[in-house]
Amino acid sequence: MKRIFTVIFLLILVGIFLKVFVKQDIPQKISDKIVRHDLQEINYPPDEKNVTINGIDYLQSQAPVGNFGGELIISTIGEGPKTFNPCNTKDATSSSMAGLLYDGLVTTNPRTGKVMPLLAKEFDINGNDYIIHLRHGIKWTDGNPITADDVMYTYNEIVFKGLGNPSTMDAMKVEGKLPELVKLDDYTVKFTTPKPFAPFLRQLSYPIVPKHYFKPYSDKGESVFNAFLSPNTPPKEIVSSGAFQLKEYVAAQRVVFVRNPNYYKINLKDEKLPYLNKLVYMIVGDTNNEILKFEAKEIDVLSLRGSNVARYKIREPESDYVIYNLGPDTGTLFLVINLNNRKNKDGKPYVNPMKHKWFANRDFRAAIDWAVDRKNMVQNIASGVAEPLFTAESLNSIYLNKYIKGHPCDLDVARKSLEKAGFINKDGKLYDADGNRVEFDLYTNAGNLEREALGVMVKQDLENLGMKVNFKPVEFNSLVNKLTNTHDWDMAIMGLTGSPLEPHDGKNVWTSSGSLHMFNQRPAGYNIDDRLDWEKELDEIFSEGALKLTFEERKPLYDRYQTIIYNQKPIIYLYSPTRITAIRKKFKNVFPTSLSGLIYNLDEIYIDEES
Amino acid sequence: MEVLRKIFQDKFAKAAFIVLAALYIVILFADFIAPYSNTYSNRSMAYAPPSKIYTIDERGKLSRPYTYNYKREYEPALMQTVFKQDRSKKYYIKPFVKAEGYKFLGLIPTHRHLFGVDKGGELYLLGTDINGRDVFSRLLFGGRISMTVGFLSLLIVFPIGLLYGGISGYFGGIIDTLMMRFAEATMAIPSFYLLIILAAILPSGMTSIQRFMLIIVILGLIGWAGFARVVRGMVLSIKNEDFVQAEKTIGASNMRIILKHILPQTTSYVIIAMTLSVPSYILAESGLSFLGLGIQQPDASWGNMLKEAQEFTNILYRPWLLTPGVLIFIAVLSFNLLGDAIRDVLDPKSQKRI
Repeated sequence: MKRIFTVIFLLILVGIFLKVFVKQDIPQKISDKIVRHDLQEINYPPDEKNVTINGIDYLQSQAPVGNFGGELIISTIGEGPKTFNPCNTKDATSSSMAGLLYDGLVTTNPRTGKVMPLLAKEFDINGNDYIIHLRHGIKWTDGNPITADDVMYTYNEIVFKGLGNPSTMDAMKVEGKLPELVKLDDYTVKFTTPKPFAPFLRQLSYPIVPKHYFKPYSDKGESVFNAFLSPNTPPKEIVSSGAFQLKEYVAAQRVVFVRNPNYYKINLKDEKLPYLNKLVYMIVGDTNNEILKFEAKEIDVLSLRGSNVARYKIREPESDYVIYNLGPDTGTLFLVINLNNRKNKDGKPYVNPMKHKWFANRDFRAAIDWAVDRKNMVQNIASGVAEPLFTAESLNSIYLNKYIKGHPCDLDVARKSLEKAGFINKDGKLYDADGNRVEFDLYTNAGNLEREALGVMVKQDLENLGMKVNFKPVEFNSLVNKLTNTHDWDMAIMGLTGSPLEPHDGKNVWTSSGSLHMFNQRPAGYNIDDRLDWEKELDEIFSEGALKLTFEERKPLYDRYQTIIYNQKPIIYLYSPTRITAIRKKFKNVFPTSLSGLIYNLDEIYIDEES
Repeated sequence: MEVLRKIFQDKFAKAAFIVLAALYIVILFADFIAPYSNTYSNRSMAYAPPSKIYTIDERGKLSRPYTYNYKREYEPALMQTVFKQDRSKKYYIKPFVKAEGYKFLGLIPTHRHLFGVDKGGELYLLGTDINGRDVFSRLLFGGRISMTVGFLSLLIVFPIGLLYGGISGYFGGIIDTLMMRFAEATMAIPSFYLLIILAAILPSGMTSIQRFMLIIVILGLIGWAGFARVVRGMVLSIKNEDFVQAEKTIGASNMRIILKHILPQTTSYVIIAMTLSVPSYILAESGLSFLGLGIQQPDASWGNMLKEAQEFTNILYRPWLLTPGVLIFIAVLSFNLLGDAIRDVLDPKSQKRI
């Protein structure tokens, strides 16, 4: 009996073995079905208008009129908001949620990027004077009017004192001086900048907060103010101005907002916006979790990356969502080379002088630029959902230098460039003019699949030139420490996000004294002028660019800065991911733009269940 | 030999032993068996699916096994990368083909690989990863790290554990109390968190080999305490035996008694504990590498290869990236089965496995 079982068992094994190894070659049927690729045409509504009804200055949305009611559920990755105080936000989640509660004087036109009034009714610019006219008759959620006193309070007692997050104060300073603010009447204020300062107008998007609600806390000093409006604050207590007000916050689960009945925006039928009754942020742990929630219809909006795009695109025609391609992101991925030739406290150079000689050579850097294979990086690592990048400004920036076309990967050009720089290739190994083997370290943050894969590719590309690259993914904080404190690194793969509207925000990266001037970081309080020629020119461009007020005057300057970076290559840009977002079809009045994304107009979006 | 025979009477143990022996042989000859090297990568073949191998050709005739190359196409409308077979040329799988050079067993330079296809052909038995590297080859090279990390850690754990437990048990009294409380304190540290912290503060300038060694040391340094406690318990009972008393009367030194006479009595337990603790080290290494704190790219280990499968779409569309997980499972299971069998044989007092 036992033997029979053994035989049967063996027979099954052999059967499985044969099944695996005997396979007939049947040609695959290739489907001839053409994938329709309809370009979504979006009919953008005209810009919003000011309308005065019964003495109240409303802002009228020109978007099609919709139905009231319903809810939109979006997700936020991470731990949720740390504060609802718009003056004290230090992370993206908190600032987007606090930004929802409090409007600024001005905002950005989502299509053109121009500055347009929001809480302000209009503004006049007269040299260095900015006269802001506020809306009459608009109210905070508790019914108190929004007046010039609130603006005066916000700027004089919070922003200019550096209370909360002082970054706006730092950004508003021109040569160490802050603008002056005068109240002209209850609904008019005047800012005066010490010098013409281009970024200033856009900085007025800083949220205005209610004086009667904030003042008792700001008077008690920094620590009380910083704890004010923490996530534990009872939502009913919060006085805000935005389209939505806070209803409920459940830690690590969700943040619920409901419509603000006092909001100052109306639709074409003169009905008060927003349309949606409820706006819910689900707090999710990571992108995988977010995708599963979207599949389970628990959230309505999903941003897609990499190979997920194809998965959703294929199912789009039969699904209840539409996918929008918003074009290249503001995020950039790049390879940065350490040009630091300074010594640390013990007199030891941060970068080995032998290596510094290579890195300081422009032709060496050019060779690297020509050797990196951006096309395959985009194809393999970003699954084709990205664009190769060559400029310091991101691809959707209004200041993008369109004359920089980039170049394909070409090892011959790279080799010639190395030859020109005096490097010698012996048996596939690269030596410098003094006979030293070219060998250096390449860092990135460990645990990030995208950057690790990039590192592996860059290593291979450079090894094709005969360099020896030691690729070392390290823990994120120790990488940041290397870049900002210890400076003992050779090359690194990093990413940054910039602003598509204001190139002056890149000041901390490009000016020689900037805190993120990674490729030639000077210690704080460093006062020896050892700037390279092109670093000097960058410094000049950035100080001059801020003083010029019109786009036409500024554009050539910022074009020049991108050309310098492209020629000098201290940072070699790799690619920018493309932003692809899916939203359920039932949501109408969705007008995605490359500058502002998909759901910037939460007050205009409504639900049409029938479609 | 008697012991080995007894162990092999257990069918599971026999199977486990064969599996493990096969795994170790394969990783020892990884250079020869793998069709590609550890660092080989084909840019245009990222995430290519496993090559299809046919033994019956399109006319239904039996044929030598052959495969087709893939070609990658990009569908801009769907933003999708698709791999189609390039049916213009068949590549036959041949034994002992010439391919990338390597040193056989680290000594003899050669170009021959166990199997492969002619030049121009591509054979990815288990597909490729994000950098277009052959997953099958990397599994073999990764196994070198994942399968040895356990044994090397044991070399640290066991000497420390034996000596520590031996001294503590033999001297007893206040020494015993102090030493055991210290061991217990070590055991109370949550080991995986400690590993994460230690791995994070490792100097970043290390090469992969140094990092590998340090991981072994880290794993070893937190694993000894439990083992030392059991040894101490055994020594407590052994030291009252007559032969120890005899040794003392002769005037042998304490160290000699511990090393030469007491510890050898614990051999059977040591062997059992060793086999049973290897899997936990394999898992610990995989866990660390999975979190990005262990073996780093471009070097392979089963843990860091498995990390790629973490992404949602990869599990759905690229199941071949999960194969390192399967191998971890097989290796751990085999060690456990073998360990159980050894325990049954060497330690008859303990409960039999049913």
